[in-house]
Amino acid sequence: MAKEIVQVEGHIIDSLILAKVLDLILAAGADYQMLDVDIGRTNVDASKARIEIEAVDAEVMTALLEELHVHGVNRVDGADAQTVVTDRAGVLPVGFYSTTNLPTSVRVDGQWQEVQNPEMDCGLVVLPDGGLRTIPMHRVSVGDRIVVGRDGVRVQTPERPRGTSPFEFMNSDVSSEKPKTLLIAQVAERVRRSRADGGKLLAVCGPAVIHTGAGPDIARLVRGGWINLLFAGNGFATHDLESNVLGTSLGVSLQEGSPTEGGHANHLRVINEIRRHGSIAAAVEAGYVTGGVMYECVQRGVPFVLGGSVRDDGPLPDVLSDVVAAADAMRAALPGITTALMLASTLHAIATGNILPASVESYCVDINQAVVTKLADRGSHQVLGIVTDVGLFIRQLADQLCEPA
Amino acid sequence: MTELAWGRRYLMCPPKFFGVLYEINPWMHTSVSADPDEAREQWDGLVAALRAAGAAVEVMDAEPDVPDLVFTANAGIVNGRQFVPARFRHPQRQGETVYDVAWFAAKGYTVDDLPGDAHHEGAGDALPFGSVLVSGYRTRSDAVSHADLSRLTGAAVRSVELVDERLYHLDLTFCPLDDRRAIVAPLGWDRYGLKLLELLVPQPLLLTDDEALAFCANSVVIGTTIVMPTCPPRVGRQLEAWGFDIVECPVGEFLKAGGGCRCLTLALDVTLG
Repeated sequence: MAKEIVQVEGHIIDSLILAKVLDLILAAGADYQMLDVDIGRTNVDASKARIEIEAVDAEVMTALLEELHVHGVNRVDGADAQTVVTDRAGVLPVGFYSTTNLPTSVRVDGQWQEVQNPEMDCGLVVLPDGGLRTIPMHRVSVGDRIVVGRDGVRVQTPERPRGTSPFEFMNSDVSSEKPKTLLIAQVAERVRRSRADGGKLLAVCGPAVIHTGAGPDIARLVRGGWINLLFAGNGFATHDLESNVLGTSLGVSLQEGSPTEGGHANHLRVINEIRRHGSIAAAVEAGYVTGGVMYECVQRGVPFVLGGSVRDDGPLPDVLSDVVAAADAMRAALPGITTALMLASTLHAIATGNILPASVESYCVDINQAVVTKLADRGSHQVLGIVTDVGLFIRQLADQLCEPA
Repeated sequence: MTELAWGRRYLMCPPKFFGVLYEINPWMHTSVSADPDEAREQWDGLVAALRAAGAAVEVMDAEPDVPDLVFTANAGIVNGRQFVPARFRHPQRQGETVYDVAWFAAKGYTVDDLPGDAHHEGAGDALPFGSVLVSGYRTRSDAVSHADLSRLTGAAVRSVELVDERLYHLDLTFCPLDDRRAIVAPLGWDRYGLKLLELLVPQPLLLTDDEALAFCANSVVIGTTIVMPTCPPRVGRQLEAWGFDIVECPVGEFLKAGGGCRCLTLALDVTLG
């Protein structure tokens, strides 16, 4: 998308110039928004209009601007973004531009540059080659050129998905009273279409995925090549491994649903053994783990990032217990991701929502409506919430996408 | 109907150095040269016709190297004692402006330049009709100049896009006759311009394409007399029915350069706004 603000003045209403200009914009397949129109009061008074034009790409915009120029329409040249060179590592300059997760452009040396990796709550750094990236506060280095103020920064409002999409029949952002089978079929179709277009899917999983018995279905999705990246915490990975090594999740038999004797220590014993192997991959290699989500990820080379927390047991050797390092590892894994499934996870879903560009189509599935609402409240407005049992959701999704188990 | 409030005093320039020396419109071919004697004879004929119709004609000196100085309509915009010099699109004509400005300055006019660098080719692209100034753009004048022109003169401008390169100036497509009537060549205007025409001119005389390309609209109106380069019978009948006297004044040598009767004259008794 390309955006420009243009201005036209004179007797543009009585001469039908404004009507012609607006017609030409639409005829070029572009769209416009009248920013302000100052209409002359008398026959002699001139009028003035400022129009924001949105075209599909820069090429269409350039051709349209050339055509409009003939009719007296000129681009309003705004100011360049202001920048300050930082003098302290890990500290943004005072008045730094705080980002959204929406597509953003910044004007540098008269040229509009698109921000390469939209992410909310970051600063914007001008790269030596003139490119623009978001930068989390802690990554700022001395000498970074950081955007300050709002001049020369444009944020593109989210585009409503057109055509057949789950969003189309969903009127509310959060749904607890919608036909789930239909909804899941629509999500499956979106996932299928995204993969056909070369997109990649990120799954963010909470431990409830294992507790509800949906582990094997996630494993099926990994095996089927549907999941390309996994974000989780120590709990999810631990219970997945526990369920495959000992058949329990938090000591409860997944087959019989009953607590096993001494089961409260099962997950600790598994963590301990994985630590003995040195990593999940090493445990898989050694034949200690023979199935499950983590096993499939290792076997298929699907990358995973396990972020730690203060209450973790163990943790597993693969868990990044420095949360800032964990968030950086998640960021580094994101390029190419087009769809995100956030499954019964509060902390990891919000952490992921924080770093995802708004352009990533995201679904948050949780039995608790508050999780979905919380995500949206933290700025991830692109997320479609589905309030349902995660086990049910994943089984049906895997049935839609994978060959029968 | 009320006669035009202007059109009884003109500035003209004799064709002493006139010729088709370059090609800046589809009518000009340097291989088809103008006959100097014939041109002078036609120009004298036009002066005589205007004077016979009751108009005063003032004459400025011809200058070498600017053959189109003869087309005074493009010198600029006259508004009472104000003169806004043209800013020509083609370098071949830009040399004329210094002579035009010198003439108006010497006569005591206030000379106000258009700001910026937008082109506007004077009365050739701007003719008063009723309470507004109709101004053409695209081929020679830039639309963006119209707002400046309005600011400088106080005129309410109505902009018309000229879409046929052969009818490159407004005065090849539009000729105000009185307060309600005008000759218009639809061939030269886009659909927005024609819509504007409906709102602006209660009784237009619409030229066929052939009539337009014969420069019918490039005529000079002095009260109820119309001095025309040529007048096809259909056009003549309509004009006579409206009570106009028609004087055909051959200007064939000037048509070789893409100019007719109107192009050779600049009305000096125009007050805008």
